[in-house]
Amino acid sequence: MSTHNENADKIILGDQEVLKSELLTLNMGPQHPATHGVLRVEIKTDSEIVVDAIPHLGYLHRCFEKHAENLDYRGVIPFVDRMDYLAAMSMEWGYALTVEKMLGTEVPKRAEYVRVLVAELQRIASHLVFFGTYGIDLGAFTVFLYCFEDREEILRLFEELSGARMLYNYIWIGGVWNDINDSQLNRVKAFCDRFEGELHKYHTLVGENKIFIGRTANVGIISEKMAFDFGATGPILRASGVKWDLRKNRPYSIYDKFDFDIPVGVGEKGTVGDCWDRYHVRVLEMFESIKIIRQVLDGIEEGPVMGKVPKIIKVPAGEIYMRTECPRGELGYHLISDGGKTPYRLKVKSSCFTHVSILPAIAPGLMIADMVASIGSIDIVLGEVDR
Amino acid sequence: METIHLKKHIEPELTFTKWFKNVYDAVKTTMIGMGITFKYVWARDVVTIEYPEVREELPANSRSRLYNDAENCISCLQCAVSCPVDCIYIAAVKRPTDAAKIKTKDGTPIRLDLKQYTIDTALCCYCGLCTTVCPTECLTHTTDYEFASYTLASMKYDYLAPDIRAWRTRIVKS
Repeated sequence: MSTHNENADKIILGDQEVLKSELLTLNMGPQHPATHGVLRVEIKTDSEIVVDAIPHLGYLHRCFEKHAENLDYRGVIPFVDRMDYLAAMSMEWGYALTVEKMLGTEVPKRAEYVRVLVAELQRIASHLVFFGTYGIDLGAFTVFLYCFEDREEILRLFEELSGARMLYNYIWIGGVWNDINDSQLNRVKAFCDRFEGELHKYHTLVGENKIFIGRTANVGIISEKMAFDFGATGPILRASGVKWDLRKNRPYSIYDKFDFDIPVGVGEKGTVGDCWDRYHVRVLEMFESIKIIRQVLDGIEEGPVMGKVPKIIKVPAGEIYMRTECPRGELGYHLISDGGKTPYRLKVKSSCFTHVSILPAIAPGLMIADMVASIGSIDIVLGEVDR
Repeated sequence: METIHLKKHIEPELTFTKWFKNVYDAVKTTMIGMGITFKYVWARDVVTIEYPEVREELPANSRSRLYNDAENCISCLQCAVSCPVDCIYIAAVKRPTDAAKIKTKDGTPIRLDLKQYTIDTALCCYCGLCTTVCPTECLTHTTDYEFASYTLASMKYDYLAPDIRAWRTRIVKS
């Protein structure tokens, strides 16, 4: 981590020397509404300009990886839910795919469709939380309430399917828990039709607003090179102008059947890879998710939703690394098995963790208020950072 | 002598006309936004559920408070084994051979006498794995969601105690 010397004599901002005062250390968090959880960022400021930002992690550490070594393969799923609690379906899916690949289990066609359906709905729900809370970060409270109203509809459907609102335990090894019925599919269809218009409205309300653009455009720029250097994935990488999506480039499950685009940041309001681009990529992704959901509703087949899985799962010895595209980026599971009932080791590569590491690189030179905009735009969930 | 070099925040050059255009844009886009929000004053029904007065009915398979119907339990321990947080405590002894033969509702013979069936709800993570493995479907999640209590000890539910058995008529899905 590159930290600047506190006792430096001169501060040069761009090509201009600024009057140096004594550096002030400021703690942003752990209890701060803009850090979206319990992230503590130690900021060193020279008056209003951030000189250093050092994120401190570990406030939400729950020893997931060690826990997993003592749980049977089915029992890991409730713990996996609690990593990224805003996108629990995607977390479960990645884990289920990992174990299924090791077991060689065939997942029924209908289950695959249901999985894509819930994962894309989850992506919308997760991005809606980003949309709403980013609005709050930048002083637009109204859109938060609108977003949560729509998210509520998705959560209600998930509650009927799985029984829980956030920590579903719905995608199981070999399939999904419950089948989805026709009236629920019709509700999803109605939701898609209604939500598409609503989303245009929300984007006009927030994204096109000049004040919002002023707060986000040209702020916290992550260039393409920087994104590669730090290993950024997901919307952050795409906002930097890289057309990379695992669903398209390395299709897993049945994603190769669907036709959708990968939105990338083009620097419409400022520079490529600024906060506005990251916001806009997520909005466009929601539209793409709706596109995928429509194709799922057209193509869904009848049949069972649970494949043949032994009652006590014993994964053959070996190791595997499986990655999936989650709302916040690439999620990887490295599973090592020694042939027993429990995983020998389950390592998680989380996208949020790598994204937090970008923060010290983009923060120097920003104002404190722009720091809030930058942290909000990389959209981290601390449950996934610390695990 | 040490120097700290910081990147300069990119700011487009501000001319006199640009300044006016910015003000115009800000007012215009804000008015558009105000127009969108203004519709919500009348054109929308209230979506908030005013909780203590209005109580929401949860979906039928909602995973809330656990209930074990002890009469139908065969003490197979599958729920305790599948529980990822180990919050189910079961004690059972073998039923004497000369005792009367009893069966559960679905006809499974009960060979063990249940002596203790306690779930520590404070530890429970409501994952639902215990209810899916239950062979006689006596352990179920109910839709009862108002069970906050003041002490940790009161969150240990002993399903053989008469006061907790009395829930059966109130919260169990038939």
